[in-house]
Amino acid sequence: MDALSHLISGFGIALQPLNLGLAVFGVATGTFVGMLPGIGPINAIAILIPITFASGMPPESALILLVGIYYGSQYGNSISTILLNVPGTASAVVTAIDGHAMTKDGRAGQALAVSAVASFVGGTLSIFALVLLAPVLSNWAIRFGPAEYFALMVFAFSALSSFSGGSVVRALASTGFGLWLATIGLDPNSAIPRYTFGSIQLLDGMDFVVVTIGLFAVSEVFVLLSDTRMGEAAADVTGKAAIAWKELLATTWTMLRSAALGFGVGVLPGAGGTIASFLAYSTEERLAGESGDFGNGDIRGVAAPEAANNAAANGALIPLLTLGVPGSGTTAVLLGALLGLGITPGPLLLTEEPDLFWGLAASMYVGNAFLLLLNLPLVGVFVRALTLPRWVLIPGVSALAFVAVYAVNASSFDLLLMTGFGVVGFGMRRFGFPLAPVVLGLVLGPLMEKNLRRAMALSGGEVGVLFDSPIAVTLWILAFVSFIAPIGFRWARFRSTRG
Amino acid sequence: MKIADRSIGAALVVTGIAIAAAATTYRVGFMTDPVGPRALPYLTALMMGCAGALIFARPEASSSDLDRAAARRTGGAVLTFAGYALVLPLLGFFLSTALVILGLARLFGGPWRPSIASALSTAGALWLLFVALLQLPLPVGSLWMR
Repeated sequence: MDALSHLISGFGIALQPLNLGLAVFGVATGTFVGMLPGIGPINAIAILIPITFASGMPPESALILLVGIYYGSQYGNSISTILLNVPGTASAVVTAIDGHAMTKDGRAGQALAVSAVASFVGGTLSIFALVLLAPVLSNWAIRFGPAEYFALMVFAFSALSSFSGGSVVRALASTGFGLWLATIGLDPNSAIPRYTFGSIQLLDGMDFVVVTIGLFAVSEVFVLLSDTRMGEAAADVTGKAAIAWKELLATTWTMLRSAALGFGVGVLPGAGGTIASFLAYSTEERLAGESGDFGNGDIRGVAAPEAANNAAANGALIPLLTLGVPGSGTTAVLLGALLGLGITPGPLLLTEEPDLFWGLAASMYVGNAFLLLLNLPLVGVFVRALTLPRWVLIPGVSALAFVAVYAVNASSFDLLLMTGFGVVGFGMRRFGFPLAPVVLGLVLGPLMEKNLRRAMALSGGEVGVLFDSPIAVTLWILAFVSFIAPIGFRWARFRSTRG
Repeated sequence: MKIADRSIGAALVVTGIAIAAAATTYRVGFMTDPVGPRALPYLTALMMGCAGALIFARPEASSSDLDRAAARRTGGAVLTFAGYALVLPLLGFFLSTALVILGLARLFGGPWRPSIASALSTAGALWLLFVALLQLPLPVGSLWMR
C-alpha cells in the first residue's frame, strides 16, 4: 500500500535523533506554557512559533517541534483545568466539571492520568483516521477552483463566527478587522501600497506572529493585571499521575466512543473541540444513567471530553491540510506558522510534498506517544511549577514572547506594534469581541482575495462564476445556514420560553 | 451603561467609512484583474460598518469599569512593554529583559528582592536559550559599544 510505505518513510524522518529531541522539547515546553493559568494552547503555540522560525531548522524538524508544542499545550491546559479549575479554552470547561471535582476529592493523580491516557487514545485514533481520510479528501479537493475556494473560506468564517457562542455581530466586526489587517502592505497583484500610512515597515504587511502574540498573549497579561481580585489560585498539588489498570480499563468504551465522536465533529469548521467535548460528555452521562456520578468526580467525565477534544483537534487538521483552510483560531495560528515555514497546505501538499505530509503524520504519532511517556512520570515536575507565584511565571513567559518576536525580524518596531495589538486585544476582550476571527481573517485574507480575483479574471468580471458549480453552491448554502443558525436558535428559545 | 457600545459602534462605522474612502484611491487599469485591489478593502469596510451600525442601534450593557488600582497596573504594563521596545537596542538584551521582568513582577505584586532575583535568573535563562543554544543574534546594546 502506497500510504503505508510513505508513512514508514515518514517515521524514518520523525525518528532521527535531532527530531526526536525536538519532539521531547516541544512536548515539554508546550505542556509547561499551556499549563500556566490563563495562557492556554493558542497562546502557547503563538509564543513558541517564533522560536521555530528564528532557529532556521529544516521544515520537517520545525513541523515536529510545532506538533509537539500543539499536543503539549493542550495537555498542559488539562493540567491547570483539573488542578486549579482554570480552563484555558472553552473546550476544557467540560473537563473542569469532573476533573476538578476529583481533585477536591483527593484524586487529582487519577484525573491527570486518565486525562493523559484519554488524550493519547483520542489523539492516536484520530491520526489514524486522518491518514486514511486526508488522501481521499485531497483527491476530491483537487477539483476545487478559485470560486469553490472563495465559497469555502466564506463558510469557514461564517461557521467560526456562529459556533463560537458569542454575538454574531461582534464576530462579524472581528472578522472584518482581521481581513482589513490582511490588506495592509503592498498589494501582490498591482504593487499598490494599501493602508501603510507611509511607513516602510508596513510595506511587507502585518506580521502574523506580531499580531497573534499581541492580541492573545500580551492582552492576557493586561487582563490578568486588570483583574481586581488579583488572587493567587492555590494549587492543590498531588505529586504524580497514577491510576489502577482496572479503573482505566473501565473507561475504554468511553474513550473509544468519544474519540470517534470528537473526530467527526472536529472535521467540521467552527468551534469543533468545544462542541465535541460537550457532546461526548453528555452522551456518556446519558449512557451511564444511574451508575454514573457525573458532576461529582466521575472518571468517565474526564475521559470523555479529553478523548473527544484531542480527536477533534486532529480532525480540525483535515480541512487545514487538505484544503488549506483552517476552521478554528488554533488551526489558523498553525496555518500562519506553516506559511511562515514556506509550507502551503492544500490538496497539492500530499502529491507534491509527500515527505512533508507523511513526516507530519509520523511526527504526530511520535508527539502523542511522547506526551504520554513524558507526562505520566513527570507530571509532578510540571505541577510543582504551578506552585510558583504568578509574579515569577507570567513576567518570565512574557519576556520569552517578547524576545521571540524580536528575534524573528530583529525589529523594535515589531515590539511596539505587538504592544499596540495587546491594547487592542484587551479592549476587544473587555467588550466581548472574539479574537479568533481576527487571526482567521489575517491568515485567510490574502488567500481569499487571490481566489476571488482569479475567479473573476477567469470569468472576465462575471460575478455569476462564484455560484456556478454545485460544490460552490453547496458551500454558499452551508455558509448561509451556519450564519443564520444562531439567530434561529435564539428565536426558537424565545418562542419556547414564551409559549 | 450602554454608552460604551454606542461609542464602539460609532467608531466602527467611522473606521469602515475611512477604510472605504482610502480604498477609492487604489486604482489600476489591468484588464486581467477586474476585481482590483479595492474589493477586499470594500468588503472589510462593509463588514465593520454594518456591525458597527448594529452595535450602535442595539447596544448592550458593558462590563463594569476598571477600578483605579487595576487601571494603574494595566497602564503600567503597557508602558513597560512599550519601554522595552525602546530600550532594547540601547541597553542590550540582558539588562533590558531583566528590567522588563522586574517591572512586570512588581506589577504582579512581587516583593522587591525576590523579584530582582527572579528577573536576573530568568533573563539569564532566556539568554542561554536564545544566544547560547539557538545562536540568535540579540542586541548587545549600542550604549556599551562606544
